[in-house]
Amino acid sequence: MTLLSSFPATIELTRYEDIRAALFHPDLSRTFDTRSYDDGNIRDGIVSIQHGAVHRARRRVENTQFRPDHLRLYERELFPAVMNALLDRLLVGAEVDLFSIGERLACVLASRRAGLDIREDDLDELAVIAEFVDIFSQGAAILDAKDPDAVRALVYAAYERFERDYVGPARERRQALLDAHARGEIGPEALTHDILTALLAHRADPALEMADERRIVREVATYLQGGTHTTGQTICNAVDLLFEAAAERPDLLERVATDRLVAQRAVHETLRLRPTTPKIRRRAVAEVTIAGRTIPPDSLVVLDVTAGNRDPELFGERPDAFDPDRTVTPDVPRWGLSFGAGPHICPGRTVGGGLPAPEDEPNDEHLYGLVALFLQEVIRRGIEPLPGRGERDTRTERFNRWAHFWIRVGSPRAAASAR
Amino acid sequence: MGVTVTIDPELCIGSGDCVRLVPDAFELREDLGVSVPRPAATTTDVELLVRAAVGCPTQAIRVVGADGDVLHAGNTA
Repeated sequence: MTLLSSFPATIELTRYEDIRAALFHPDLSRTFDTRSYDDGNIRDGIVSIQHGAVHRARRRVENTQFRPDHLRLYERELFPAVMNALLDRLLVGAEVDLFSIGERLACVLASRRAGLDIREDDLDELAVIAEFVDIFSQGAAILDAKDPDAVRALVYAAYERFERDYVGPARERRQALLDAHARGEIGPEALTHDILTALLAHRADPALEMADERRIVREVATYLQGGTHTTGQTICNAVDLLFEAAAERPDLLERVATDRLVAQRAVHETLRLRPTTPKIRRRAVAEVTIAGRTIPPDSLVVLDVTAGNRDPELFGERPDAFDPDRTVTPDVPRWGLSFGAGPHICPGRTVGGGLPAPEDEPNDEHLYGLVALFLQEVIRRGIEPLPGRGERDTRTERFNRWAHFWIRVGSPRAAASAR
Repeated sequence: MGVTVTIDPELCIGSGDCVRLVPDAFELREDLGVSVPRPAATTTDVELLVRAAVGCPTQAIRVVGADGDVLHAGNTA
């Protein structure tokens, strides 16, 4: 079984502005093919592949979990505590897998946001969650999988275990709280604040199309995976690119260690150069015109984010270079289109990447993003990539996925009191 | 008469991007899950309003200048 049926035309867009226009266009859908959709689509009904009114209704509910007050709590209190506890335990020894640490750290926070009750200091349980994330990540990238049928079977089996061991108990607890709240027995402060709770609270709204229990499982899995995968990959990519650039600019390491804004810009450069989804796909549901080019209905539209993010008109004369000091205009995100744009823009972009980095001193409200905090902390602790540092994930055609990233821990680089 | 700013509630997904960019001009209605313009939007810097409208993920914001010119229509009817 193939996921995509034949398309009358395949159109590839490579210019930043054209890709952006395509991502905003209401007639370019993420729903590729209704036949594969009805027959074995492992992501059936999840927000990422919804289009139009259902997508908007779902996002209205789920976006409430990404408000600045929530993000501030995560970035300033929850994340530093979890990160330091985990790094103290895991960042030791002559050969450490940074990918594994990054993924486990992200698992803790993504589990909370998705609405799973896990034992956060239990490394064995974090390994189980990381395994789910790995399987769901293969499912999310099934269009690039070398063996899609195997991935499909793996994901179906994982959903069953995920529901039995995690979503089921979490749903029971949250529903009981919501029911108690509805009866006036507890106040709103006693409710959990996560995607699962938000979905349960609104699932009676037919606009959400959430009556099917299995959709709730898949939706929670989507947020767990999305909240974990980018962090794990981006921290490895950031260290990889940073040390490569530091061979010519050794001051970069010290600057990242002592200035969180530089760390944030380093993360944004990383995302720009190595987007988690290098090529975004859309299907034309009607005739569409982008940059004067007519795209016939049912065409497959491939948006080459890697190329668009290196547009010299927007990112300067050396767009392929890793340069956290790069200058861009205020209306161009430093991460380019790596979080997407338009209605499907990544809801967690501010969690991972923070708010757009200002040109001068940030104000008290600024958020740097969790990956910047993580990058700064591991650089401060003196990590160095080992020669032949990484092992790529060979199960996918995507060029930028790490399976392992080996580092060693040297001498600390900067005082922990630096910003 | 100042600038007119409207948000199509059917299109808005409550991303809050407009609120983060121009908090004086927009606010989130958590009961509805959408952004709405604040009264001060009529006197807010037009350039900022248009930036918020251009950046709106669903193009739900419409900005009309004091002279009646549509400065940004987005996907609003």
